[in-house]
Amino acid sequence: MNGNIYHNRKAQWVAYVAVFVLLALVPTVFDNPFTLNQLARYSVFALLAVSVSLIWGFGGILSLGQGIAFGLASYGMGMTMQMQFQNPEYDPIPSFMLTNELETLPLLWEPFLSTPVGLILTILVPTGFFVIFGILMFQARVAGVFVAIMTLAMLAAWYSMAYDMQPFTAGFNGISPPLPLQIFGGEVDPYSPLAYWICVGVLATLTLATKALLHTKFGLIVQAIRDDAERARFLGYNVAYYQVVVFAISGFLAAWAGLCWVMIVQYVSPTSMEIAFSISMVVWAAVGGRASLLGAIIGAFMVNGIQSYLGDELQQVWMLILGAIFIGVVLFLPRGIAGLLELILSKVPFGRGPSGAQWSAETGTEEKAS
Amino acid sequence: MTSVLELKGVTRAFNDYIAVNGFDLTVNEGELRCLLGPNGAGKTTSLDLITGRQKLTSGSVHLRGNDITHMSEQQIARQGVGRKFQVPAVFKELSVKDNFEVAFTRERGPFANMAVMRRSDGEARYNEIIEIVGLGDRLEVPAGLLSHGETQWLEIGMVLMQDPSLLLMDEPTAGMTEQETAKTSDIFNELKGTHTLIVVEHDMSFVREIADIITVMHMGSLLAEGTISEIENNSVVREVYLGSEGIS
Ligand SMILES: Nc1ncnc2c1ncn2[C@@H]1O[C@H](COP(=O)(O)OP(=O)(O)O)[C@@H](O)[C@H]1O
Ligand SMILES: [Mg+2]
Repeated sequence: MNGNIYHNRKAQWVAYVAVFVLLALVPTVFDNPFTLNQLARYSVFALLAVSVSLIWGFGGILSLGQGIAFGLASYGMGMTMQMQFQNPEYDPIPSFMLTNELETLPLLWEPFLSTPVGLILTILVPTGFFVIFGILMFQARVAGVFVAIMTLAMLAAWYSMAYDMQPFTAGFNGISPPLPLQIFGGEVDPYSPLAYWICVGVLATLTLATKALLHTKFGLIVQAIRDDAERARFLGYNVAYYQVVVFAISGFLAAWAGLCWVMIVQYVSPTSMEIAFSISMVVWAAVGGRASLLGAIIGAFMVNGIQSYLGDELQQVWMLILGAIFIGVVLFLPRGIAGLLELILSKVPFGRGPSGAQWSAETGTEEKAS
Repeated sequence: MTSVLELKGVTRAFNDYIAVNGFDLTVNEGELRCLLGPNGAGKTTSLDLITGRQKLTSGSVHLRGNDITHMSEQQIARQGVGRKFQVPAVFKELSVKDNFEVAFTRERGPFANMAVMRRSDGEARYNEIIEIVGLGDRLEVPAGLLSHGETQWLEIGMVLMQDPSLLLMDEPTAGMTEQETAKTSDIFNELKGTHTLIVVEHDMSFVREIADIITVMHMGSLLAEGTISEIENNSVVREVYLGSEGIS
């Protein structure tokens, strides 16, 4: 019996790094700003798919609420960029507030006068919310489909809050910061290679960090809990604690996606917390293969690529097409594209000796060396 | 002798039905106790009550004098109580090796385990365990693909990997061949003395091989307790197990 290169750690790292290097080289080939911006958007979607892959594929927790973290971070970033445009002395209040008859800047907005504080809150608030929400769910041992329902209900609640709190969020219209992000004395033009590189850089850094985390004992225990939470509990692990941590990390990833998103679209509205959007993230991860971070990234690029190249009439029924893709994957490719690749590579001889010997060759020596 | 485990008046009611009823049990250090009884006698439920999987309706459980009655599963596990389930529970998508690795629980917290980079940390220990339970040629196989007997071995191995001082085994030989059963009794006899074991079993020849003292449960209560010959000659026990044939 030969090993499968798909399971070789070194080969995996090479594949991940190769994909990110390729992505980083794109601006040297295409200099069309619209293509770059489009691909930057896909990178953001890919990061969302990575967050779904982590929580669902590895953690066994089907969260339909990743849009909460994405949306909260989007608003955080929108507020930060909006306040960069306002002048604290002459013009401290965004114009949509004036039309909503606010006379002073709401307390909620005050911290965003400072860009560093605003950026920190953009990441911290969604992550903190996932910690609290996670404690409430997992402490009570909510599991399976009930997690899906609870996260969905919470997402719907945040959506209507963003929609209804007109004076603070501009409601349905959303916030459109007039200027691109100003940072380090320059600005990040959404259509520039710089913006693209930031998005790909964030995706690469966070994906590689997540992959490294999954290779630690923590990552192994998270997957063990996915397989049998009770067994893990009887080995002495505090299952709820692990679930809260992995849920919060997935929220952290989705928050970074929200930050990058508003940087490249200069706009935030309640659509960032639409139910259909959060469900789409799950489909991207499923298509790519939820048990592979790289698979999830490829799934996000593929599905969104398909969507952009469909004609206008087909856009009307996009959710139907997406549903059909999802059903097809569930029926014929339950482990997604990554699973297909695993199957193909299993036909290719790799490594030496029986599986027992391969363990020491692969993990023993390799890990001792690192 | 010091008692490792002490159950006093342990009771568990499901609405009207009382599954375990005023059950008393004392197990001493280094002893191997067999828990016997017909199906539905309340053996598994008793293990659930000891390990915190179910809450007691009344009564108390003490481990080395500490009250563990109201502790959670993971707290009790950390006190050195390991358990093998009646329906084998392993991590199906993880390899056999990774199952052992997860059961090697030197660090318990998530953040502490983020710093544990090498998965081979438990290697020395699981080489010992593989000596004992076998599976050495199946290390890379996902646990979900093991045969029933192998799964039983894996779970026993995982409990050993956890290195508890009190081991609770719920029907460990179910689905095993005769040789496998014989090997299991060797392992248990080896563990006896350094570990304390409670073994739920049906197979009388297996019980004869391993037991010091046998506790017989019936309808949630203690029916009889004694050495193997005392139990085999106990007329009440014979009656419960239907007729003159005795328990085997
Ligand atoms: N969760 C439960 N709800 C209702 N009845 C239960 C539950 N768990 C066990 N029982 C009942 O308690 C009795 C004892 O079961 P159990 O402890 O599994 O028996 P044993 O392991 O000795 O065969 C059985 O009659 C069973 O039906
Ligand atoms: Mg039972």
